[in-house]
Amino acid sequence: MKRWMKILAAAAVAAAVAISSAIGCFASSEDDVFIVGFDAEFPPYGYKDDNGEYVGFDLDLAEEVCQRNGWILKKQPIEWNSKDMELNSGSIDCIWNGFTMNGREDKYTWSTPYVDNSQVVIVRSDSDVTELSQLAGKIVAVQSDSSALAALTSDDATDENKALCASFKELQQVGDYNSAFLNLESGAVDAICMDIGVANYEIESRGGGYTVLDERLSSEQYAIGFRLGNTGLRDKVQTALLEMLADGTFYDIAEKWGLEDSVCLSADDTYIDAGTTAAEKDSFLARMGDISLQLLKGLLTSLSIFFLTLLFSMPLGLLICFGRMSKFAPLRWLIKLYISIMRGTPLMLQLLVVFFGPYYLFGVQLTSDYRFYAVIIGFSLNYAAYFAEIYRSGIQAVPKGQYEASAILGYSKTQTFFRIVFPQMVKNIIPSVTNEVITLVKDTSLAFALSCTEMFTLAKQISAAQTTIMPLFIAGVFYYIFNFIVAFVMERIEKKLNYYA
Amino acid sequence: MDLLEVKNIRKSFGELEVLKDISLSVAENEVISIIGPSGSGKSTFLRCISMLETVDGGTMSYCGEAAVTEKDGKSVYADKKTLEHIKSYFSLVFQNFNLFPHYSVLKNITDAPIHVRKKDKTEAEKEARALLEKMGLADKADNYPYQLSGGQQQRIAIARALAMEPKMIFFDEPTSALDPELTAEILKVLKELAAEKMTMVIITHEIDFARSVSDRVIFMDGGVIVEQGKPGDVIDNPSNERTKAFLRKIQSAE
Repeated sequence: MKRWMKILAAAAVAAAVAISSAIGCFASSEDDVFIVGFDAEFPPYGYKDDNGEYVGFDLDLAEEVCQRNGWILKKQPIEWNSKDMELNSGSIDCIWNGFTMNGREDKYTWSTPYVDNSQVVIVRSDSDVTELSQLAGKIVAVQSDSSALAALTSDDATDENKALCASFKELQQVGDYNSAFLNLESGAVDAICMDIGVANYEIESRGGGYTVLDERLSSEQYAIGFRLGNTGLRDKVQTALLEMLADGTFYDIAEKWGLEDSVCLSADDTYIDAGTTAAEKDSFLARMGDISLQLLKGLLTSLSIFFLTLLFSMPLGLLICFGRMSKFAPLRWLIKLYISIMRGTPLMLQLLVVFFGPYYLFGVQLTSDYRFYAVIIGFSLNYAAYFAEIYRSGIQAVPKGQYEASAILGYSKTQTFFRIVFPQMVKNIIPSVTNEVITLVKDTSLAFALSCTEMFTLAKQISAAQTTIMPLFIAGVFYYIFNFIVAFVMERIEKKLNYYA
Repeated sequence: MDLLEVKNIRKSFGELEVLKDISLSVAENEVISIIGPSGSGKSTFLRCISMLETVDGGTMSYCGEAAVTEKDGKSVYADKKTLEHIKSYFSLVFQNFNLFPHYSVLKNITDAPIHVRKKDKTEAEKEARALLEKMGLADKADNYPYQLSGGQQQRIAIARALAMEPKMIFFDEPTSALDPELTAEILKVLKELAAEKMTMVIITHEIDFARSVSDRVIFMDGGVIVEQGKPGDVIDNPSNERTKAFLRKIQSAE
């Protein structure tokens, strides 16, 4: 009876928590809350400081704007590739984060520009590259869907920049600047293209060791991006900003962040509103075909990861399984520890360790080729641990009598394993292996952690570039078809092994 | 020469002494039945002489070749190669057959001759078919074990043992897992083998069978051989009280 009441009480508390948090969610969409979406890894505009607080020039501006409008500021860190989905779904009110308007004029409703920024190239100080032309044949990193990428590859890019980009050995897209600098420091890339403000900040906070090339890729302007057509909110923010400009608060904040030379907010600027019917260039089907075609290239990478991982992890798993079942206790413990680490830590983290580990632990300079190898090594090591445990369960399910009959008939240990135990194990484990293989299909998307452009990474990039969620849906369909085939093949194998009960 | 000579073997599982000083000689062509209540150690004894279990003390030799010698009161096994050779002298038929489920009937019989004895495949298959013929299962060569009855499976298991051409075969309660009507077909096969002078040691609960087929009957209880002799003596005229009690019990149950 008492236990019964305890459960009831616990359920009531849980329900109360759920309801209050749900109310909290709704509250955030009320008028007096202003939700700023920003990339939390973009100092000095918006980032997480040493105390774990979100701070930055843009966030200070936003705070001031909120105070003047009587709003409560909510700082919402977002995944940069998902910014359009966040904005269009209403989960954020604006993107305010050193957000370049050039080339995106049609896609958002903009405030007037408040920072003038340039795209520059950074190399390590010990690099022999001193001018842009020397980047020919080098590997250059750039953040996905960043202004630097646009300056190099978009339709609006200058011919010089397009030619420059074509001369690179490879243009490597990375998810964030931290990973770009990790890549640069470890030698996996030769240069990074990025905003000058961010570049100066990053170099200073990393204690130097990097050089900004004198030549610039382009000049550009930052503004606040609102959902297309949301001029009402834009006007309120703009009015507050101009007030701040007039009374000097704007410059005070700029000075605080060392950006006084870059700011360009002016009461004389006018909006560049392009109307709301932009970007209706191609027909729906043509765009879908185009996106699918691009995704197929990523699918090829996903397929390579998938097949190579299976190729290496399945035999490796068998070796690990032998170690796990070894009579030699220290080996058994070691393997147990290995399996527990592989199963107990995120695969994404393991991938990062495999890729960056050689440099940070042993000082080995990384090459760009190693990126893909690291993905395969990381996946294989992880999946081998899971396969080892599956094999073990399959082996333990083979009755003792099978070993005894083999011993009586004079089979050696090796013969007993490969002729008698292994075939029965394979049949025992097929359902578990099918599960694991299907998980692997979806796990291939984790390769984005190492900036390996498999299908999902590509889908996110295209989605961000074209301001549409369609690539993600198409990628989903591809994953489903992929898994449908995998399930079909595994079912056939299972049926084939069912020749005995 | 005795095919099997076991002297003073002892076996314990932890604190529990299961075999206490057992000695047994098996002559060529001899058929021995071992009877006794469950827990008497007879199955452990058979597993020890089949080398599925190791003995703690005592000696064992097969066809005059020493497999286990004794040193300082402890058993010492011969080297791997010698044991491998000695193991070819005997085979064991299990209570629950232990056929290989993933192999066809024919492959169950031929696999070990081909891969352990390195016999020619055609010849091994020819011999296997002859054995199946003998077991009355010639038409089952391509079936899988799960498609056969228990009695048929046990006959395949016997054929599998015979295909290795052992000098003696041990049977561990070969009919205990079978229905009564299937038991008969196995006993018939064993009688035929006895008639062909196959040397056999059989653990059984079938008293009538033991009486009719055995040259010698051994009654085991509490880890020792309590009584042994001709079936007419041990079964029909036992001298030991424990033997009498056991026989009374199982005969009243029948």
